[in-house]
Amino acid sequence: MAETEAPRPRQRPIVRLGIFLISHSFSFSVVCCTAGVLALLLLPILAKNTYISENALMPGSANPMLSNQDVLEANRFVKDLIALNSKPRGSGIESQRLIAQYMKDLGAEVNYHKFHPQITQFHPLQFFSSPDSGTVERNISCSFHGVNTVGITRAPRGDGKEAIVLVTPYNSQKIKQAEALSLGTAYSVFSLLSRVTWLAKDIIWLVSDSQHGEYAAVSAWLRDYHIPMFTRLHTVNAETCPDINYLYDVRDNSVTGRKIYDGFKRAGTMAAALVIKVVDRSETFDDNLNIYAEASNGQMPNLDLINIVNYLAVHRQGFRVKVEKLWSLLDSKWLKNLGELFESVGQVVSSINPQWKFGIPAADYTEGIATLASSLYNQALGVPTGPHGAFRDYQVDAITLELSPRASVDKIIRQNDFLLRGGRLIEGVILSVNNLLEKFHQSFFLYLLTSPGKFVSVGVYMIAFALLVAPLPMVAASLYADAINLNSSQNNEKTVADEPGTALRSLKWVNAAKKVFVVHLWGSVVSLLPYFICQIPNRSPTVSFIIWFLLSVLSFFIMFLILASPFSHAKESQLHLREWAILKSVTMSATFIGLCLMSVINFSTAELGGLLLVPMCLMAQPMRRDIRVGSLSTLSRLAYNLVFCLIGFPPVTFVLLKGAFEGFNSINVGDFWCWVESLWAWSSATYLYIGMVHLPCWVLCIHILFHHC
Amino acid sequence: MAAKEGRFWGWAFASVIFRLILIYFPNNLNLSSRPEVSTPLTSLRRLAEGYWLKQSSLSPYAGSMYHGSPLLLYVLGPLTAKSLVFVIADVVNALLIRVIGQNLQISYNQRLKALSLDAIPKEKAILPSRDIAALVYLWNPFTIVSCVGLSTSPIENMAVILSLYGACTRYGPETPPRKLFDGKVEDSASSNHSHRAMKQQGAATIFSWKPVLKFLMWSVVWSIYVLVLCGLCVRHYGGLHEMFKRTYGFILTVPDLSPNIGVLWYFFAEVFEFFRNFFLIVFHMNILFMVLPLAIRLNHRPCFLAFVYIAISSMLKSYPSVGDAALYLGLLGLFVNELAGKFIDMQFSFFLFCVYVGVSLLSPVMHNLWIWRGTGNANFYFATAMAYACFQIVLVVESVSAMLSHDRKLKKLSIAKHQESKSQQHSTNDLSDSRTRTTVKSAVASWIEDLCILRNNAFLLSI
Repeated sequence: MAETEAPRPRQRPIVRLGIFLISHSFSFSVVCCTAGVLALLLLPILAKNTYISENALMPGSANPMLSNQDVLEANRFVKDLIALNSKPRGSGIESQRLIAQYMKDLGAEVNYHKFHPQITQFHPLQFFSSPDSGTVERNISCSFHGVNTVGITRAPRGDGKEAIVLVTPYNSQKIKQAEALSLGTAYSVFSLLSRVTWLAKDIIWLVSDSQHGEYAAVSAWLRDYHIPMFTRLHTVNAETCPDINYLYDVRDNSVTGRKIYDGFKRAGTMAAALVIKVVDRSETFDDNLNIYAEASNGQMPNLDLINIVNYLAVHRQGFRVKVEKLWSLLDSKWLKNLGELFESVGQVVSSINPQWKFGIPAADYTEGIATLASSLYNQALGVPTGPHGAFRDYQVDAITLELSPRASVDKIIRQNDFLLRGGRLIEGVILSVNNLLEKFHQSFFLYLLTSPGKFVSVGVYMIAFALLVAPLPMVAASLYADAINLNSSQNNEKTVADEPGTALRSLKWVNAAKKVFVVHLWGSVVSLLPYFICQIPNRSPTVSFIIWFLLSVLSFFIMFLILASPFSHAKESQLHLREWAILKSVTMSATFIGLCLMSVINFSTAELGGLLLVPMCLMAQPMRRDIRVGSLSTLSRLAYNLVFCLIGFPPVTFVLLKGAFEGFNSINVGDFWCWVESLWAWSSATYLYIGMVHLPCWVLCIHILFHHC
Repeated sequence: MAAKEGRFWGWAFASVIFRLILIYFPNNLNLSSRPEVSTPLTSLRRLAEGYWLKQSSLSPYAGSMYHGSPLLLYVLGPLTAKSLVFVIADVVNALLIRVIGQNLQISYNQRLKALSLDAIPKEKAILPSRDIAALVYLWNPFTIVSCVGLSTSPIENMAVILSLYGACTRYGPETPPRKLFDGKVEDSASSNHSHRAMKQQGAATIFSWKPVLKFLMWSVVWSIYVLVLCGLCVRHYGGLHEMFKRTYGFILTVPDLSPNIGVLWYFFAEVFEFFRNFFLIVFHMNILFMVLPLAIRLNHRPCFLAFVYIAISSMLKSYPSVGDAALYLGLLGLFVNELAGKFIDMQFSFFLFCVYVGVSLLSPVMHNLWIWRGTGNANFYFATAMAYACFQIVLVVESVSAMLSHDRKLKKLSIAKHQESKSQQHSTNDLSDSRTRTTVKSAVASWIEDLCILRNNAFLLSI
């Protein structure tokens, strides 16, 4: 920003524009902020229909080959699996053996993958580094392991360099009907694919053991797939764990006589992965397909993958495709009114010129907003919505397909129909992905969904964010320029420049920057504290939260004492009036940088954070000045400031949001701790954002508010 | 003063401790593989590879890993395992910068006294710019990262700073514009006001060939010596020709297009093959075009000129790293009194600082988005590289213009003071003719001096 002083006779237009913007920064910031919020609300209207941009995919170009024969086979498999439940002992191992047996009968290469779910570690910069840096040698107990079963069909037309992954999570301890159905669906497709001739990519069917969580099993398998471990872990296991020995003993006297390879089998790089789940919700109308796509830190798979699934499911197999919605928004009054308003605006616009397409029906708008809100929320949280999230860490595009049949699947005909349609859908998707010559790259990676068939691309939603944060640098520049000019005019009046502080008036900001830096440093200390708190045994969430809070306050005062020298130094020059203005301008710059950085890492966090931080930052002013003036406008500003500073405190924000969605009855202090703990257990960048951008900014705003000027 | 001194040493010591802590902690961020830190020229891994090849009596340049001088292998090769060397190099750098700062300050004060402006600096209680510069160097995150990330840039920076130090101690470096003195000598000839100092000043401006010839002779001797040593080292592996091809040729033809914080890699990845040579010439001529005009304009401030040159070369380098930025930002600290003093402000200092913080945080994130997450592409990262280059340009332009207006202000002050003290209506206009002549002469002289300094750098670097 051009903070030029001393008006020269002729200035360059860009400088003049800068000066104009700065001098009208108040009105501009009001306009920009309103426009930013409005643009966010307009996103469902601005959303475009999805289209398949990679030509090679050609979804639905071939007739599905999955026949009733495959379905009957799958039915037999499902029955056998469920029958295992009635057997008394070691059903876990039995089920894996059964699956392996079926896979082998199809001519696939089979191996078991033993894993130990990774212990949650504090690894805040995980999103930033490559995924391998987290592996540590662990102390293993035998009781706490899972066994994945992996089958690989080699492609007759491929060179073995690429693969497509099917994942079916199931609980090996107790197999439910729905899980067995999902296994059956995958089995029907797998049995078909082991016979077809067109396959150019290997098919990996991962039957993941979800007794320790669906995500953990898949991520453990992926880790071992991509990062070979050359340790003795495997042999140690075999010696000490009787279960696994049993697994390997039986393989020798199995019926076919072929051995199961006890190493780790690999195919090529993964082109895409589909996680198949069946849930037993008794929906009334239709067979449903829920798509979950959000991976860690708001990363999404390529939009083309969702597109082909959506296209095939709707146009070929007749599923009702859904993405997650925030249900509580659906029946909110003001959204309906807003939708009707937009609808009527759209009608007016189209009556002026029928060419202009603006506005959608109010009901669609409400649905769009609810989907968008859920999309934003899931991305902002940074926690993957299913096992597909593990794939995104290795740059593999993956989604979870959650199929839910229309009625109960007890009837055998219903079940066969469901298996046929589900299998054909997956077959179609695999056929499309099989056509790919390169990775998915044509379509978008950065988008928000407003419905399964509509999306908002990065170019559109960035406008809303840019409008929202644009006032920050503008107001910062104007405050800075004002303070400097005021200062210089004071100097000219006095003409006594013997005070050392004023000698470097253009470096006035250094003291403020020091203060801001110290507060940010404190923020990083606060975000490191939970690591130590977690070492304390036997603590309840509430206690942990209180310890955390107290330690944070303590560390704040310690830092004040240790780094007191910059502060005491600053006090000397605090004589001049606008010290808070410079502090505010530095705070705003820091917030701006933090928000922009976060918008690159995880857009949704930045957007939601910006909605909270920007109004707070813009309006923060010393309380004493407002009280001293005492007019209505200053008092209302004071009230506004207090309210926003109260809302801006992260625990309060959390409690308010939770209360708004779930009611205030069930809230206690420990909930916030649980939430934060889950954030850092998933190594979400949002956690770092809260600790190192949001909290320091809030503290600085409070500091400005209570500034003695 | 003693308290200030103590504080400086305290902070310097703290920075060393900080480095040691970072070095002996497990490297979570894997700094030594970051493109910002280690370029093909400064990567310690490549040096270790070259050393290993040399130990197993192969050519150190085999496999296109190592691109430094063969003599450097002898010096640094055995030390590759010890990262303490880089900490020591950083401390030495900071101390050298401090001594340079001291020299600059002394000569600056002398010149001010000679211009009878001494009342002003005393009044405003100058900040010890040497301490600021040294601490800026030590605590600059770029310096810390390149030291902890095990790149050889601290050693290279040491060579540059050492040659600057040598240049500063031999000739008194920084002066307000010589024009001032020329005017003054003739103005104050009648009045005996600090006459002797003026005379000395006048003597200094007279150009003589002797030191130049002496310098040229010694540099030729030194370069022949270095070349002979290099030739001995690589005589079994293709001789000096191979060495030149693999070191200077590697720098000039930019064959390694792996991303870094500069702008050349992207450009040469995009450019058509048959235009490549043309654009190589264009890009490298760019630096040469700036040498002469800057030398003429800034001839009275060779040290500042050296800063400008270093900043420009780190901007237009084929393989820039953050270590280069660390060097010129440290040197910028030396001129804090001139650039941000009472006379003149660097208006954009706050803005520059924010951009500096923003870009240096954004660039690794963009790189992550492109390389690791695969959701971005090369343009994302290149955008930050461009922003960084623009930031450097603005920094250079701003600092040069601030420095020039500082000198202009000094001149105005001194003229005003002069006229006040003499209370004469003596016009200085008619002197302009003789002044320009002397200026051009002295410009040429100082340009040659600067070239000498630069050559000196180059030689030290080639060791």
